[in-house]
Amino acid sequence: MAELTQAEVRPATVLPIPASTQILAVAWLRWRIFVNSTFRRRPKTSRQAVSFAFSILLRLIVWPVLAAMMIGPVVGSGLWAWGATAHHHPERLQNLMASVVLGWQFVAINGLSIAAAVSNFDPASLIRYPLRFGRYFVLRTLVGLMTPSTIVGCLALLAAVVGIGIANPLLALPALVVLAVYALMNIFLTRLLGAWMERWLANRRFREIFSVLIALFAVSLQLLSFQRYTPHAHSISNNWLLRFLESSGSYLHWLPPGFASSAILHASHPLSALAPFACLLAWTVLFAAVFAIRLRKQFQGEYLGDGVVHRRVAKPVTRAKATIVRPDSRAVPVHAESARPMFPPVIAACLRKEWLTFRGNSAGLIGMFTPLVFVVLLNRGQFAAHPSFFLPGAIAYVLIGVLAGLYNVFGAEGLGVQLYLLAPIRMRDVIVAKNISSLTLIVTQAVLAWTVVALLKRTPIPLPMQVSTACWTVFVIAMNVTLGTMRSIQSPRRFVPGQVRQRRGTPTNRTNSLLVLLVLFGSLLLQVPVVLLSRHFREPWLGAWIFAPLAFAAVCAYALLLRNAERLVLAHRDVLTEELCKA
Amino acid sequence: MTTPAIETTALTRRFGDFTAVQDVNLYVAAGQFFGFLGPNGAGKSTTIKMLTGLLAPTSGSIRILGEDFAANSAEIKRQIGVVPEGMALFGRLTAEEYLRFVGRMYGLDRATTLQRTHELLEYMQLAGEDKKLIADFSHGMQKKLALAAAVIHGPKILFLDEPFEGVDAVAAGTLKSMLQRMIARGATVFLTSHVLEIVERLCTHVAIIHRGHLVAQGSLDELRAGAGRLGQTAPGIAPVDGTRRNLEEIFLEIVGTDREGNPAATAPEQELSWLS
Repeated sequence: MAELTQAEVRPATVLPIPASTQILAVAWLRWRIFVNSTFRRRPKTSRQAVSFAFSILLRLIVWPVLAAMMIGPVVGSGLWAWGATAHHHPERLQNLMASVVLGWQFVAINGLSIAAAVSNFDPASLIRYPLRFGRYFVLRTLVGLMTPSTIVGCLALLAAVVGIGIANPLLALPALVVLAVYALMNIFLTRLLGAWMERWLANRRFREIFSVLIALFAVSLQLLSFQRYTPHAHSISNNWLLRFLESSGSYLHWLPPGFASSAILHASHPLSALAPFACLLAWTVLFAAVFAIRLRKQFQGEYLGDGVVHRRVAKPVTRAKATIVRPDSRAVPVHAESARPMFPPVIAACLRKEWLTFRGNSAGLIGMFTPLVFVVLLNRGQFAAHPSFFLPGAIAYVLIGVLAGLYNVFGAEGLGVQLYLLAPIRMRDVIVAKNISSLTLIVTQAVLAWTVVALLKRTPIPLPMQVSTACWTVFVIAMNVTLGTMRSIQSPRRFVPGQVRQRRGTPTNRTNSLLVLLVLFGSLLLQVPVVLLSRHFREPWLGAWIFAPLAFAAVCAYALLLRNAERLVLAHRDVLTEELCKA
Repeated sequence: MTTPAIETTALTRRFGDFTAVQDVNLYVAAGQFFGFLGPNGAGKSTTIKMLTGLLAPTSGSIRILGEDFAANSAEIKRQIGVVPEGMALFGRLTAEEYLRFVGRMYGLDRATTLQRTHELLEYMQLAGEDKKLIADFSHGMQKKLALAAAVIHGPKILFLDEPFEGVDAVAAGTLKSMLQRMIARGATVFLTSHVLEIVERLCTHVAIIHRGHLVAQGSLDELRAGAGRLGQTAPGIAPVDGTRRNLEEIFLEIVGTDREGNPAATAPEQELSWLS
């Protein structure tokens, strides 16, 4: 055994630790995590190598697209700032600033869940180390700064400086200073929103309220209409949203966008620029202070979870000895099953477990009914006037969210999968039970959507279209349940549609998730070319002729899969335990 | 009188309407090998989190090495090393990278950090795993690395939450040897463990927490002699037949009764029909 030097357990020097040492150490940590996450995981098998190459190829395609998406707002910001300054439109510069802050925060908040899923580093864990609060505050502000929202926001503001500078070179330097403060204000606002969201979302009740609010917000968005820009509108007087947006300029004067634009445009008269600049600074300090209040709590060791509910102590089971049925007893069980159960015991037990899990997921329950509300709302638009698109469109819309569940037969089980593998049961029964629970949900949604469309129909839905849609629905569901079950056995890690880049995701898993997305959307969109072909050839039954055999084939494939499910699971039990049980 | 390493006064932590730790008054002298015991859910991990600054107490005070934790958290954290329950390692680093990061965070200079990193990796038999990410380490290897990270800056107090859980005999031997070295050099070790044999072999002093209350505290001999039991109205646990009892017997006797010394209702009272 190696020997340790005497210095090993001697206390560290009592000199203060330089701030730069700790900040650089965290920067180095982040860099090493990035490098190791990107390059260390080498593919071990040929299959992984192909997946790895595929994921690199995808990055080469996706990254330029993302970069192009970033260029738009940046160039637009520069042009907008130039136009506002050159043509003396202070309100336009104010609107630009407001757009930047809204876009920045919107993208940042949307990115929170993705960042939480893909991040390998929780900055809150830094409280373990001997940091003073000031350093912790700086680190929490800096760590995770390289996000799309910050990069695009900063570039957009830089482009605005360039635009202002071209229009009026004297304003270039003041604009640079003001917009640097404005960028800092945005960073603090992002941080404080993130920190407070984290605090609130840790509470189950708030999460439920938040889910309802998000659903209501999404529904409200569908109700808005910018009638001014449609040919049917006569005036804007009836559109409260447009009126609100047009009158919001006066409110913006008192908010950071108004102060930033005033400070820039009055820069030629330093005294008049000073007041709005001071106000902008005050907003920045306010956001930093609110963020610091939240961080201080974390730094002191705040517990973010729900309070532990004091459970009532269960009464001890006082079973009378006389009622115990001993092996040699001739007593007849009191609750003997009088009727034959609908499912075999294993399937019934698994179904009950699935039901209990589903019942406890209030966000899932809300999410289940939200698409149906959208179907009702879609009925208001032009889309609903074409039943050949509206019926399959409505069905496809409600299926998008729920079909993903078919690809997670074991994904949500985690360590629990061991119970299935160890228990003396057939894995086929477990798969059947899980598929039944998913299919019940999916079929219920599809039937409800169909009923809603039938009730709301403006024009009758032709019989060939109904038959075609029915066959297509059966095909989509059967194909996805087959492929989903296959995928769940071969690559069981949980698939979340919005998070293709998964935590601890290997190239195989990422590629797999992308393929799942392709299959999902591909199968749902298959109806479009068929409807178009049907119209082109004036053959209303074409869809039915195409989808009926496909549906039959998909159902047969599922039956075949079930026949071989036991063998497949046994062959992949190592994969199941490795991917689901590793912490 | 020397400054105690750890001293808490009326330490309490509530989660909603549930009190996890209530009025705990701990006293750990410097240089002790202190075992903190209790059944599952008794409040051990909550206490250790409060003592290391990861969780704020609802009320009460903590003094570490004579300093108030709330007022001097950064300075105190420099003097302590922690192996938390979940180990809290960064899985996407190698062992060497992790130790280098920890050394720098504790203010060690670059050369010292590198030297100690290499020595600790050798000592913990992790030196050959330099290409492997921590996420791919076995549980025992992760425990050894967590301990190496906890001692790299030479702490005066070492807090260990279940250090021997899921660790094989070889790794446990390495961990024990490291802990004994720490004690030999004057450090204080505060550990929680379910493995009472290990606690009995290593620790000189023990405290027992049960349902959030500290029910016993003292040296092993004091507990064996029936002293050290707190808040008791019932007779102590002095041996009646003169035999030397082990820690497991003492522990079961203490946590098997309620705070008034009455036998607690336990599962064995009930009968399992299908096993009888």
